[in-house]
Amino acid sequence: MRTSDLPPSTRAFRGLSAFLWTEVLVQAHEELAMATSMLVQGVLLVFVYILAPALLGVALVGAILYSTFTMGSRVLNEAAYVRIDHKANDLYLAGPMSPEAYFLGMAGGILVVYLTPVIILGILTMVVVHLTLLQGLLILALAATVWVFSASVGYIFSTFFRDNRAIWAYSSLFFNVFGVLPPVFYPFALFPAALRPVALLMPPSAAAAIAQASLGITQLTAGELSLAVGGLAVETTLLFLFAIYWARRTVRGD
Amino acid sequence: MAAMRSEFPQVPTTGRALPAFLIVGWRWISRNPAVSITPILLPFIFLYFLSLISPPSLLPLEIVGAMLFTMQNIGSWVLGDSATWRIECSLQDMFVASPLGRIRYLFGIAFSNLIAMLPALAILTALLAWAGARQGTPLTAFGFLVLVACLGVLWVLFSSIGIGISSRVRTQREIWPVGNLTFTILGMLSPLYYPLSALPPLWQDVARFLPTTYAALLVQGALGITPASATQMIFYALLLMTCAAVGVVITLRLYRWGEG
Repeated sequence: MRTSDLPPSTRAFRGLSAFLWTEVLVQAHEELAMATSMLVQGVLLVFVYILAPALLGVALVGAILYSTFTMGSRVLNEAAYVRIDHKANDLYLAGPMSPEAYFLGMAGGILVVYLTPVIILGILTMVVVHLTLLQGLLILALAATVWVFSASVGYIFSTFFRDNRAIWAYSSLFFNVFGVLPPVFYPFALFPAALRPVALLMPPSAAAAIAQASLGITQLTAGELSLAVGGLAVETTLLFLFAIYWARRTVRGD
Repeated sequence: MAAMRSEFPQVPTTGRALPAFLIVGWRWISRNPAVSITPILLPFIFLYFLSLISPPSLLPLEIVGAMLFTMQNIGSWVLGDSATWRIECSLQDMFVASPLGRIRYLFGIAFSNLIAMLPALAILTALLAWAGARQGTPLTAFGFLVLVACLGVLWVLFSSIGIGISSRVRTQREIWPVGNLTFTILGMLSPLYYPLSALPPLWQDVARFLPTTYAALLVQGALGITPASATQMIFYALLLMTCAAVGVVITLRLYRWGEG
């Protein structure tokens, strides 16, 4: 095909399903990485199980949200690896696939494969906490929102790296600081009162606070609830739109 | 080596390997500050979480656990460096061809990674002194010496485990998961962040096969965190040395230097 024969512009989200399933096949061969994705949650659940078994329900809900949050770390690693090590993103993006389909296909493929440990955590949570259908659906919606946020963060961050060896350090720093320090694995009430608004503005802890409030573990004021819901919705939407914009812009090389 | 000496008489066949690796370690963290911040922060993140969910009396024990866990994680770093240099940079062939032996190479990488861990260990030592004084278990000179000795044994043991595994890793994508899984699971199985008695019986039995368990019990005993008689402490020390010696011998047999 001659260059002049190429279509002038690519349809939005073109090639999404094809790249999503490609990514599913790639990720499905990464059994070790899949096991590693559960390490921090596993460690914290062990801590809670041994030292404070009464908090196991809170920790399990937190582990579900944290697991979807750390999928962003996988997106970061994969996007950087494909670009830096394989230099394959140029090949993918030179084809008819759109940049946003590349980002969403990668994030979606990772989600499909890494959903298994989340489902196991969900089953454990249902056994320990006895969730109602409404509570279960709320946790599902919160986890999905956190995933959209973290996948967007992961993809945007991946474009800044020039060296694969440094990625894990920054990625581990970001996802642990925002996923473990704030009240995700422990009750919101244990977090210092002065810093609670900050925690409600961080998507993983905002989602955890809403989930804990729905389970009756934490009492949130109307203002706190609005801050958590509003912050989570606005931040996720804005970041997702920015990730789409950034995916298109980085392809153009502006 | 004799042939090399006769062919290239001007090329030095001895040198200062450890200072060279020290510079490698320092350059790495000075160019990537997050690399040194991450191992400092991770034990603190765990400690912060533990301080929220566990009784304050356990804090000195948890800090000791964080120090031993940090030192154990050097294994993961050694694995990462050694495997990256071999697979990505193809540097190991050059080291094999040089006068550097495999043991000095192991100590060199272990030493360069120790540099990145020292800030974390220094801060945790200060925190241990503070928390110990508050909880009635002060950091004595004897306790400190036992702590340093145990950290030294774990440094040698886990660095050799790291380099032994690294020589068997085939692709770069395996490096991070293999290191993380191996060393985190080993750390969690040992009673680092909780007393041995708090573990379920079967778990206690498994933990007794791990050298880190005896390092933890020895330091806890020396600092008075978990009561232990002099005889018990000698017993823990002997078991630690035995487990470490067995571990080093096994991993050095696993370790492929020039032939792989």
